[in-house]
Amino acid sequence: MLRRSFTAVLEKGSTFDGDFATEPYEAGWALEARWFVNVLRADDGLELSFVPQVSPDGSRWCDSGEEAMRLCGAGLASLPMRNFGSWLRLDARMVGTPGSATLIIYLALKG
Amino acid sequence: MHSAAGGAGRTRPADVRLSKFSPLPRVLYFDDFDEGMNGWCELVGNHTGNLDQIRPIAKDFRPPQLSSCTFFDIGTHGSVDGTYALKLATRPQANHSAVAIKRMTYAARGLVQFEAYLTFKSEPVMAGDRGWDGNQAPSERLFGEFTLSNDICVGETGPRCHGVIRYRNTDADGSLVQRWIRPTSVEPTTKMDRLGLVKGGARQDFFSLRPEDWVAVRGGRQPLCFNETASKVNWHYVRWLFDTSRLRSLEFQCNDMRLDLRDVIVPTYQEPYRGIANLLNLYVAVRTHANVRNFLYLDSVLVSVDW
Repeated sequence: MLRRSFTAVLEKGSTFDGDFATEPYEAGWALEARWFVNVLRADDGLELSFVPQVSPDGSRWCDSGEEAMRLCGAGLASLPMRNFGSWLRLDARMVGTPGSATLIIYLALKG
Repeated sequence: MHSAAGGAGRTRPADVRLSKFSPLPRVLYFDDFDEGMNGWCELVGNHTGNLDQIRPIAKDFRPPQLSSCTFFDIGTHGSVDGTYALKLATRPQANHSAVAIKRMTYAARGLVQFEAYLTFKSEPVMAGDRGWDGNQAPSERLFGEFTLSNDICVGETGPRCHGVIRYRNTDADGSLVQRWIRPTSVEPTTKMDRLGLVKGGARQDFFSLRPEDWVAVRGGRQPLCFNETASKVNWHYVRWLFDTSRLRSLEFQCNDMRLDLRDVIVPTYQEPYRGIANLLNLYVAVRTHANVRNFLYLDSVLVSVDW
């Protein structure tokens, strides 16, 4: 049997002007995950920090321990995860000059 | 009326996962979500590569999930005969919908039957204990509705129509309705939306032109088994038989309730369609009426045909 893989698009060209978290996503079947954040547009001076978080129940969250992914301006970046629980999300924090950014956020899973 | 072609008497040991279904002679697909997504994916509105073109109601139907039905109080509940179920999850935002679709085309016109084991839940939240008598769950009133729909286009240019049936658990105010309903207008298209024909504002409905375009199916009152607590999962059998030759639904069954739909008019688009020849799609959807996530779980789906 081939390994399963699935890519979920958790934000689809959404524009944010403040901190947010992605919707909870169940990934208990997967052995590995990789977040992709595609910044389509961001105001000058805005810095985005993405912290991967895990949860045992989809409602209470803690940082997973991976280093945060930081982005300035348009572009694509990714962050791998292993040894997580059943739920994943990204906690996005906006630092630097206040502004807005438009994003696509993917979660690529394999197991 | 269809009679079960594959009853218990025909079940061989190798078919044990199929023995809980009653398929027509040919199984078109059998999706056990312990095996993966099986081609069920997020529905998205039309666009030409620019995501800003997608009409808002059809831009955020959420990716489906493979869920182990895990809850904060008991841990993993699991599915009917394995660990995973297909889960659709809304945002915690009133009137938000999650919709998943499986896309096929038909090789012949005739009978198509959708069967599934499914259940529905609202997210466990601190709903308070006002009015709680120890049995009936306050969270039951936080679940809005779920919908089953097909999408059929006959040949190269249509006619095209959607047969749709919806379980309305509560109305927008959170009062229990617990009834199967159906739309009286067509499912709006992107073109209709761009022409300003879709109404409803904040209560816009993906499956009808206006939010009020729904009527009760005769005999369709049916309290389902929410089971007192948001983390108790009881699965329900549904069977929906429709005919792509006559563009009608014939029968809908949920557990021990059967609805005769043969005389129900299925709203049909007035204009020809191109680009979707022999379309045979199926959707499943869930909509919340409160600022609480609503979930629809499917353990497994079997679609069979008489061609």
